[in-house]
Amino acid sequence: MNEISLLFFIKILVLLLVVCWISIGVSMFYRRIRTSRLALIEATFADLVSRYLYNDPANPLSVQQINDRLKKTGIRPANRNNVQYLISLMIRTQRSISGSNFTKLQKLYGMIPPYGVSIKKISSWNWYRQARGIREIYEMNQVHYLDEVLKYRNDKNIYVRREAQIAMVVFLGWESLRFLPYLKWNMTLWQQIKVVEKLYDFYPQPDLKWLQKVYGTERSFAKRLLMRIIRKFELQSEVEFIMKHLADEDYEVRETAIYCINTFSVSSASMAYIKNEYDKIPDATQKLQLMNYIYENSNMDPEFYLEKLYGPNEDIKLNVAQILWNNGYKEKVQEFYMQQFPKSSLYVG
Amino acid sequence: MWDSVENFFGSGIVYDLTNYFFFTYGIILLCLYFAGVLLASRAIRRTKRRATFLQVGDIVSATDIPSVTLVAPAFNEGLTIIENVKSLLSIQYPYYELILVNDGSKDDSMEKLIREFDLEQHDASFISQPIPTASVRHIYRSKNKKYTHLTVIDKNNGGRADALNTGINFATTELVVCTDADCIIEQDALLKMVRPYLEENKEEIIACGGGIGIANDSIVKNGVLKELRLPNSIVPMVQVVEYIRAFLLGRMAWGEVNGLMLVSGAFGMYPRKRLLEVGGFDNKTVGEDLELCIRLRTHMENLGKPYKVVYLPETLCWTEGPPDYSILVKQRDRWARGLWETMSINKKLFFNPKYRFMGLFYYPYWLFFEFGAPLVEFFGLICIIAFGLFGWINWPVAILLFFAIYLLGCIFSTAAIFMYVKSFDHYTRPKQIIELLLAAYLEPFVYHPVIVFGQMKGYYKKLFGIKSGWGTMTRKGFKVSET
Repeated sequence: MNEISLLFFIKILVLLLVVCWISIGVSMFYRRIRTSRLALIEATFADLVSRYLYNDPANPLSVQQINDRLKKTGIRPANRNNVQYLISLMIRTQRSISGSNFTKLQKLYGMIPPYGVSIKKISSWNWYRQARGIREIYEMNQVHYLDEVLKYRNDKNIYVRREAQIAMVVFLGWESLRFLPYLKWNMTLWQQIKVVEKLYDFYPQPDLKWLQKVYGTERSFAKRLLMRIIRKFELQSEVEFIMKHLADEDYEVRETAIYCINTFSVSSASMAYIKNEYDKIPDATQKLQLMNYIYENSNMDPEFYLEKLYGPNEDIKLNVAQILWNNGYKEKVQEFYMQQFPKSSLYVG
Repeated sequence: MWDSVENFFGSGIVYDLTNYFFFTYGIILLCLYFAGVLLASRAIRRTKRRATFLQVGDIVSATDIPSVTLVAPAFNEGLTIIENVKSLLSIQYPYYELILVNDGSKDDSMEKLIREFDLEQHDASFISQPIPTASVRHIYRSKNKKYTHLTVIDKNNGGRADALNTGINFATTELVVCTDADCIIEQDALLKMVRPYLEENKEEIIACGGGIGIANDSIVKNGVLKELRLPNSIVPMVQVVEYIRAFLLGRMAWGEVNGLMLVSGAFGMYPRKRLLEVGGFDNKTVGEDLELCIRLRTHMENLGKPYKVVYLPETLCWTEGPPDYSILVKQRDRWARGLWETMSINKKLFFNPKYRFMGLFYYPYWLFFEFGAPLVEFFGLICIIAFGLFGWINWPVAILLFFAIYLLGCIFSTAAIFMYVKSFDHYTRPKQIIELLLAAYLEPFVYHPVIVFGQMKGYYKKLFGIKSGWGTMTRKGFKVSET
């Protein structure tokens, strides 16, 4: 490498450095402009919504006026980022409003610019736009797009299919559970949480027939979701489903079952079943969790605990010892620990 | 070929070999850095997009999210302990426990804690200790309903790793966050950290880290970072740039290819189950965070289960960096020893196909380019002096080459600052950006040589078996605002 080629290389590097500086400058300048633009859109939208919801009869606000003002703040089809921001404001506003104002707001949303933008997004090649489009559709309660959205429930992109599945729950409610065994992909914990939350928010009255129809599913995620639903809606009559899975062969299913059973207190017959299931659980940590549930939700059963005290796991033994010690069986614990020491006599000196 | 030593050196083979070695090493490193910038920018964009579908507000209101315990060890931190604990208690998370482990402090930390938080002693005889640790003296819980999620463990001194292990033993939650009592954690940090676990699909998340920032001379009120300022002196100022570069470029890029071998000890989240399986932190090394992450990965490889180590680009934890050269040298000396120990403990991974990418690529990278970098730099310095004395150096070319390499370094630092400014709003004023850029451009002259010195000091200690522990890290403390 000679001096000339090195000098050429240095020139390129200096140019790159200058490009980096310009990028920083542009980024800072853009952020400043953008922040003020977004603040303007937000203030305008807040003003329009409040005036629309609480219309002054002396000075009524027409739809034309609303559209003109939005246009002046930059809400035009060409300014996709501004339109996107308006949509997020609309969703945020809708979430915080209920009652007759909610209906009025829905009517307003049907008449202002972004309507129709979301459905265009779902045919995009970009997963991010697709998922956002589906999200907007269910957040804005555009139920007439249900068929289009349903197509994406088994999409290969996790975000697209997750939003489509949530949309399915929002639009179909408990009936949407019938699709559960036929979903191709695993459901993440967050997907399950969202499905349960939406069901609870939109359809608080349980429709057990749809739930019971899918009890036979073999899918791990479906079992976990069903147990979470039973827990969230406190469906005491369905606790048996959770109990059946306490000793499931799948670790995650057992984990969810132990977590969910904690919400319920059960009859003594069911508790006997749970105690029986306890021995079938292969994982010590899960056994400990279930033991704590048994202890807190049933009468003291010394035989059950004494049997575990002589089991192989040290953590479980310690836990059992604590339970027995605190419940009037100190001598049994002492007896157990005394056996740990060698029987030979101790010679001193 | 060569009939004498003079002929051997005179033939130019040493000169050529040395040149080729440095050139190859430099080119590989350059390519890796360049790939890092591309991967990091993709990772940052993807993380931001994913966050759109899992917003913090949704997580707060959700039920069924995993419970989290934050374990914070403290040793002789009586001066700031109350403020620090209040800060940690104010973190937002619906199912959150804080375990503060007093690691045998000799000051009045315990008395202060008992008084301030109305602590009451509890029986510790039936608490199981799956990971062996130094003995626990007492467990304390607050009588005050405001602090029901606080547990203080008073134990005999066993070091940071031992204190963290004690906290892991006592935790009952699914996830455990390990941090330091003197770190300032963003209020919504746990809500953000839990995201990867909620979205876990085929690959189990075995560790998650968040960006760590330097907050020397910043203003803190009620344990919350009220105003982020740039440090006044050059040493912590350069560390701001160093951390931005390391977390935003390095960690994000490695995370993108699932090659992360380190989740910083100052702020890392792990599933408790996996921590217990591997036996927690290793208290025999001073690089316990790196060692744990590698051990967790090795464990998962042995189990044959798919896993992931992830990093979030956002700065979620603020810490005070060494304020001067002497403390900086001590810190880097310790880090170098930790790296040496970890590389040595895990040498079985080296080019071992059983551990797939970790054995064939990530471990060798750490060995050659993280562990090896200070050695190569030191060797380079010796070569320059020696070749200069022999008159083998073409000085005009050498100076131009040095300038080109310096510019490359500046470009990578500037790119990191650009990505940070574009993605986050911590430093928004032009004056701050200019100061950061100046610090980045001064780094090779006023900072980097000191770091290399600190690292070489650490290696020297390991090489000659000189005993050295954590060392004393004197800190100035954050500026506390009363108003």
